Amino acid sequence: MTRQSQEELREIVGRLPTTRDEDWKYTDLSRARDITSRWLDAGAETVAADIDEEIERISGSIDATWFVIANGELRLPDAASGISAERLDDVPAAASALAELNSALLVDGLRVRIDGAPDKPVGLLFIDGAADAATSQARVEIEFAAGASGEVVEYHASQGAQDHYSNTIVAITVGDNANAAHLRIQSRDLRHVQTTHTTVNTGRDARFRSAGFDLGGGLVRNDLVIGISSPGAEISFDGLYLAGEGQHIDNHTRVDHRVGPATSRQEYRGILNGRCRCVWNGKAIVHTGADGTDADQANHNLLLSERAEIDAKPELEIYTDDVKCSHGTTVGQLDETSLFYLRTRGLDRQHAKQVLTHAFAAGLVSRVPVESARNIVSELVEARLRDIIHSDEDFS
Amino acid sequence: MATESENLEGLVNRRYEHGFVTDIETESLPPGLDENVVRAISARKNEPEWLLEWRLQAYRQWLEMKEPEWAHLHYPKIEYDQISYYAAPKSDEDRPKSLDEVDPKLLETYDKLGIPLHERARLAGVAVDAVFDSVSVATTFKDKLADAGVIFCSFSEAVIEHPELVKQYLGSVVPRRDNYFAALNSAVFSDGSFVYIPKGVRCPMELSTYFRINAANTGQFERTLIVADEGSYVSYLEGCTAPMRDENQLHAAIVELVALDDAEIKYSTVQNWYPGDENGVGGIYNFVTKRGDCRGRNSKISWTQVETGSAITWKYPSCLLRGENSVGEFYSVAVTNNRQQADTGTKMIHIGRNTRSTIVSKGISAGKAQQSYRGLVRVMPQAAGARNHTQCDSLLIGKDCGAHTFPYMEIKHPSAKIEHEATTSKISADQLFYCRQRGISEEDAVNMIVNGFCKEVFKELPMEFAVEAQALLNVSLEGAVG
Repeated sequence: MTRQSQEELREIVGRLPTTRDEDWKYTDLSRARDITSRWLDAGAETVAADIDEEIERISGSIDATWFVIANGELRLPDAASGISAERLDDVPAAASALAELNSALLVDGLRVRIDGAPDKPVGLLFIDGAADAATSQARVEIEFAAGASGEVVEYHASQGAQDHYSNTIVAITVGDNANAAHLRIQSRDLRHVQTTHTTVNTGRDARFRSAGFDLGGGLVRNDLVIGISSPGAEISFDGLYLAGEGQHIDNHTRVDHRVGPATSRQEYRGILNGRCRCVWNGKAIVHTGADGTDADQANHNLLLSERAEIDAKPELEIYTDDVKCSHGTTVGQLDETSLFYLRTRGLDRQHAKQVLTHAFAAGLVSRVPVESARNIVSELVEARLRDIIHSDEDFS
Repeated sequence: MATESENLEGLVNRRYEHGFVTDIETESLPPGLDENVVRAISARKNEPEWLLEWRLQAYRQWLEMKEPEWAHLHYPKIEYDQISYYAAPKSDEDRPKSLDEVDPKLLETYDKLGIPLHERARLAGVAVDAVFDSVSVATTFKDKLADAGVIFCSFSEAVIEHPELVKQYLGSVVPRRDNYFAALNSAVFSDGSFVYIPKGVRCPMELSTYFRINAANTGQFERTLIVADEGSYVSYLEGCTAPMRDENQLHAAIVELVALDDAEIKYSTVQNWYPGDENGVGGIYNFVTKRGDCRGRNSKISWTQVETGSAITWKYPSCLLRGENSVGEFYSVAVTNNRQQADTGTKMIHIGRNTRSTIVSKGISAGKAQQSYRGLVRVMPQAAGARNHTQCDSLLIGKDCGAHTFPYMEIKHPSAKIEHEATTSKISADQLFYCRQRGISEEDAVNMIVNGFCKEVFKELPMEFAVEAQALLNVSLEGAVG
């Protein structure tokens, strides 16, 4: 199935980033290397698990035109107005070892174009699950045509509990005056490793709103790279990561303001309990000449366990003076007096914690840019919070 | 707009006020570095065998290390073979016993710099350990300090007089192989200051030292060690100016602070070294390792710095908060103009329980300067109740300058409360307009706004320094309008 020899593939795997790379300082991809090597050793054959039922369940939960990429293989939906799709026949030159791995092992690539204002969101279901350790790749290019107004929902899920590594690339272009809403839900199995690299390029007066919800996954790394090269862009993105025992979730974001005026704002929030580690690295670069830039970054974290670790790094690189940039980061715990207040109202400690953590996440949930998916996101967050809080070894 | 650009022009064209070279013969080692140079430096200072060995080990470690490249700085490669590693005023043999005996040319130099050595020193109540190039030439107020039991002397003197203290604490905060420049300093450090405050003593005056780099082609490798024993307090002032010259000079200093139980050290710096001219020619390369160790319970170390000079600055005064309830503080104003580059910030390592730290960093970038704040706040798994507040603000003046922040936060304990906020902006037209319509000239308005921007840091400076700092800031920035 592969176009390259085993040696070439192993050579690429050997070049995947390590913690010696500044950008990967806190996230160790050894597991991804290990899974890929085992898969290559076993002949690079993937025997898919029985995943149809799971696909039914997920695609039924949000009303969308679903494109399913199961273990890297694409299943196209029936035609829908305003949405045109084709398989990718070429991929641009890879800029990193992860992208090289993606190009080398890619089975099906997808290109979707959104014109006008489709009735339903475009759904992209990335689901992986095999009978044995396996690696899968996905690549999707999404184009919002000039003036289009559309929504995209990415859903990353797993079936079965075998070790799996999935490496996904998503490239989004938002045309002039287009209005794009983007939602990413990730609820993978703890034995799954995921790396996603999402690039967004915006046209003149384009609007891009996004939200990412990381609810599962053993080792997750999401890179979101946004480039603003035409004036008037309005960018806003949120992220919520809920990490419990054994999870490692890393969100790296980068916004390049190449021209102004333009606005970008991001808000990431995390709730950590049990032995887990989360990373947030937000970078805003205001290039020479990008006058009238307004960039804001916020990151807030709740640490609920002795063994949880958060590594946060809000970076600003600014090369011109007509800018307004700010960032704020906080790390803290639930407020004891608030907990006490709820206890006096008859709530037990776990329940009180749940109420407070819910409130912490509520702002992001209410801003989910794809309206038809807001309820399901709310339910998923609620359920995950319950899991996290109840696995508690109450430290206080 | 005309006045704006004229003002800006005036700022850019301002010459370095402290630019002059004192014409004194210096006895220097030829350029280059090998074990013999290390031995020669040690021999000249009549150092004991253990210190020579310590230096040699540092040198061997340095050979194996690589110059760091991660900083947001661009400068031509430093030719370590072209630097002379030792320069002392020639009159080393017959050191002056009092100020009268001091070479008048030296006194003149200090005079130009406004160092309160003579009468002014007495009036200001400041004891000065003036470091001219590499050897201390005069120390005042020694008697008064001796009465209190405070040891304040040059590093070479401390090695001879108090070897047990030096041996105990040297390299205990900044190990030899801590980083490339620390290893280099450990091998070839020339002189510096040593301070020991005994138990329960509140140092009766503010201690001060002026660093000067004078002889051409001489890298200066200062070493400062301050130990505050239990329950003591000291405030230490460091101020720097350097004469004008066209060749880049390397300065790699180490400052080690140790605070034992209930001790407090306040370390203030005004740094105004030659920043190079408007085209980025010349200027000091300033690669400094400063670290304070809050070793004892309830100890406190506070760094305050006003950085306006140097072509390249690489400096991260840090605190290791080991002791329970210990406190670390970092207050910084950094100004970069023309083609200056600064990569500066701090590290707060929370190790003990209930440790607290505060970081306030104000950066002002003008002309074609690039400035970065790089900070680390780390809360170790055992550091229950750690608290940090970080604020770093940047003010940009002009289209071609840059301001960057790279704050790292690594939090491994759930009871930590960590806050970080940063803003970057230019002087707002509204603020300027408001001042202007009240009849305040543009230049004064900018001064007011910039001073207001830095106020939080200035109020942490001792009085004498606050005045100097404001003057420096005005020199660097008045008239610059964003």
